[in-house]
This record gives sequence, structure tokens and C-alpha cells, in this order.
Amino acid sequence: MSARSTLRPRSVQPAWSFEYIMWFFTRVSGLTMYLLALSGVVGAFILGARTQVDLQTLLRWMFFPNRFHVEPYLDDAAFWVTAWWQIMQILIVFFAVSHGFNGLRVVIEDYVGRSFWRPLLRSVVFLLWLAMLVIAVFVILQA
Amino acid sequence: MKISLKLYRYNPEIDKKSRYETYQLEADPTDRILDILEFVKGYIDGTLSFRRSCAHGVCGSDAMRINGQNRLACKTLLRDLHGNKVTVEPIMGLRVIKDLIVDMDPFFENFRTVLPYLINDEPAPKTERLQSPEDRERFDDTTKCILCACCTTSCPSFWANDEYLGPAAFVNAHRFIFDSRDRAADERLKILSAQNGVYRCHTVFNCTLACPREIEITKAIGEVKRAISTGSLK
Ligand code: FES
Repeated sequence: MSARSTLRPRSVQPAWSFEYIMWFFTRVSGLTMYLLALSGVVGAFILGARTQVDLQTLLRWMFFPNRFHVEPYLDDAAFWVTAWWQIMQILIVFFAVSHGFNGLRVVIEDYVGRSFWRPLLRSVVFLLWLAMLVIAVFVILQA
Repeated sequence: MKISLKLYRYNPEIDKKSRYETYQLEADPTDRILDILEFVKGYIDGTLSFRRSCAHGVCGSDAMRINGQNRLACKTLLRDLHGNKVTVEPIMGLRVIKDLIVDMDPFFENFRTVLPYLINDEPAPKTERLQSPEDRERFDDTTKCILCACCTTSCPSFWANDEYLGPAAFVNAHRFIFDSRDRAADERLKILSAQNGVYRCHTVFNCTLACPREIEITKAIGEVKRAISTGSLK
């Protein structure tokens, strides 16, 4: 018998689409949020949260390390208003807001078929996402 | 044993809305649901409409919702249902034409979208396109599909939007994407990664539970997703 005649390429060009990229982003952003929250907690502990902060404050700090959340407790809160922590806050807000609004987008794509509502709802979600980010960054930089 | 059979009825020429009719019957635990439906049609009400052809789980025409689960009437024994109450309804997500018959057009439209046939423009060898047993094994599971629509009509994403290609279309795309004789994997992967493709799948597993051929559908969809992301057809 002759060798098989089907020497096909064992791989093709990946077929990345917008849907694929957002699917991937959902997973990565979920993971990233955990890492950022963890780094926030570690930072708080280093600053003395072990003795000075209660659990609620710590949780708030975890998900939104804004200086107002710890100021009454920590004397050297000024340290947190450095560019480094502002960037951390912006990152965590970016991932959380984008992850959440992408979820809303997926609900729309799943449940709203081809109709006049679909582009409308998509635009509403996009604008809300943008507005949230702009407001959050403004608040962080003002804090 | 005595059973109470509740049937979904809808005759578009008479009924404004669908209704249920209940029959009290005598049946054997080894009777199939198809036998019971045939009995009702033959001896009680000849207007009862449903599809069936092979009566042996091969043609895929008698998918219906039996006690809330998508099954083939010809492969479901009364004793499998563990009780004497039987409810039979049409599969969901497709328009009911009459009684248990639904309009399968959107389903087959989605099926055709994924190019479910061998594509290879290379000159054909003298005898045949050979394939090693391992290469054949690669897509064996998805060759088992009989297009009964049990999977697709058990999927919440499909209920919500019948433009969603659905698990049956993915299974049949998988069957050719991983076939070493085929050359159109990239074309299919593009179709599957688009708006109505595999990213509307949220791994609910209803399809895998519903499949009367026990195809591991969710796994096949996972493999398609991996091929989309890496391009690997291994
Ligand atoms: S009648 Fe053919 S599959 Fe059931």
C-alpha cells in the first residue's frame, strides 16, 4: 500500500475575530483583577493594615485602592497617592469596568437578534463603558 | 401498566393557541415512546402529527421533548422514564407547524453555513484519498451525528436567537475541520469565530446531555475554539 496521500498542513492561520479577542479578554481580565486585588492587599498589609484596619476596609481597599478608604486608619496614607498606586487603581478600574460591560455586550449579542435594537443597545453599552472609565480616571487623579 | 400520556397539540387550521391533550393508556414498560404515539395515531386520533422514518435511531427525524428532555421517541423506552406520567412536546426554539412537527429550515440553514462537505481542490489521486486509521480516529466522534436537532434545540443560546449556528452545526464543522483530507479548515474557522459562531456557546452542556448518539459535543466545540485561537489542527 502506498503511503497516505494526505500530507496536509497540520495547522492553519488562527482565525482571531473580535468575538475571539473579547472571549480571551474576559479570561485574562478576570485573572488580572485577582492579581491586582492581591497586590492591593499585600500593599495594605505592608503599610500596617494588620493592626490598624478592619475587614470591610481591607475588602474595599482590595478592589479599589483609593486613599479615602484607608486614610482615617493609616497615618502615612500620603504614600498611596503616588503615581504607582494611581496606575494600579486605573488598571483595576479598567479591567473591572471592561470585563463587566463586555459581559453586558455578550448578553446583547446572545439575546438580541438582528433588529433595530441591537445597534442601539450596543452603542448604549459602549457609551456607558466609556463614561464610566472617564469618570473613574477623573476621580482617581483628583483624589 | 397504566400510563397517562400528555401530548402537546396544535393544529393551525383550528387552534388559535397550542393546547395539551391527555390520554389514559395501557402500555408495556418495554414499549418505546414512538410505539405509544403510533398507537394514539392509529387507534385514537388519526390527526396526531409527528415525524418518524427509520424507527431505529438512525434517521434523526423523531426528536421531541419527552418529560422535558430532548430525546428520540424511537430510542426511549417507557421504563427509561421511571414513572407512568409521560409528557411529549415538540423540540424548542423552532416554529411549530403542527403538533410535534417543527419547521427545521433554520436548523438546516445553520448547518449549511459551516460548509459540511469535503473540500479539496487538489487533483484527485488515481485510486482514493487514503487516510491513516489515526487520522480517521481524530474526528470519529463527530461523524456520528444524525442531525436530529436534539442538541441545538436544547441550547439556551439557540432559543434566544436562531441565527446562532448551534451545536449541531459545530459538530459537523468539526467533522471536516479535523479530517486530514479536507482543505477548507481556515474558511470554516473564520465562519465559526464570527458573530453567530462558537463564542455564543457558554458551555451549558445541554447539548452533550441531549445527544442521543452520545457525541461529546462540548468537547468538540472546545477543540474548535482551540483551533481558532492557535490554528493547530492536531
Ligand atoms: S425514527 Fe429515525 S431516528 Fe427515530
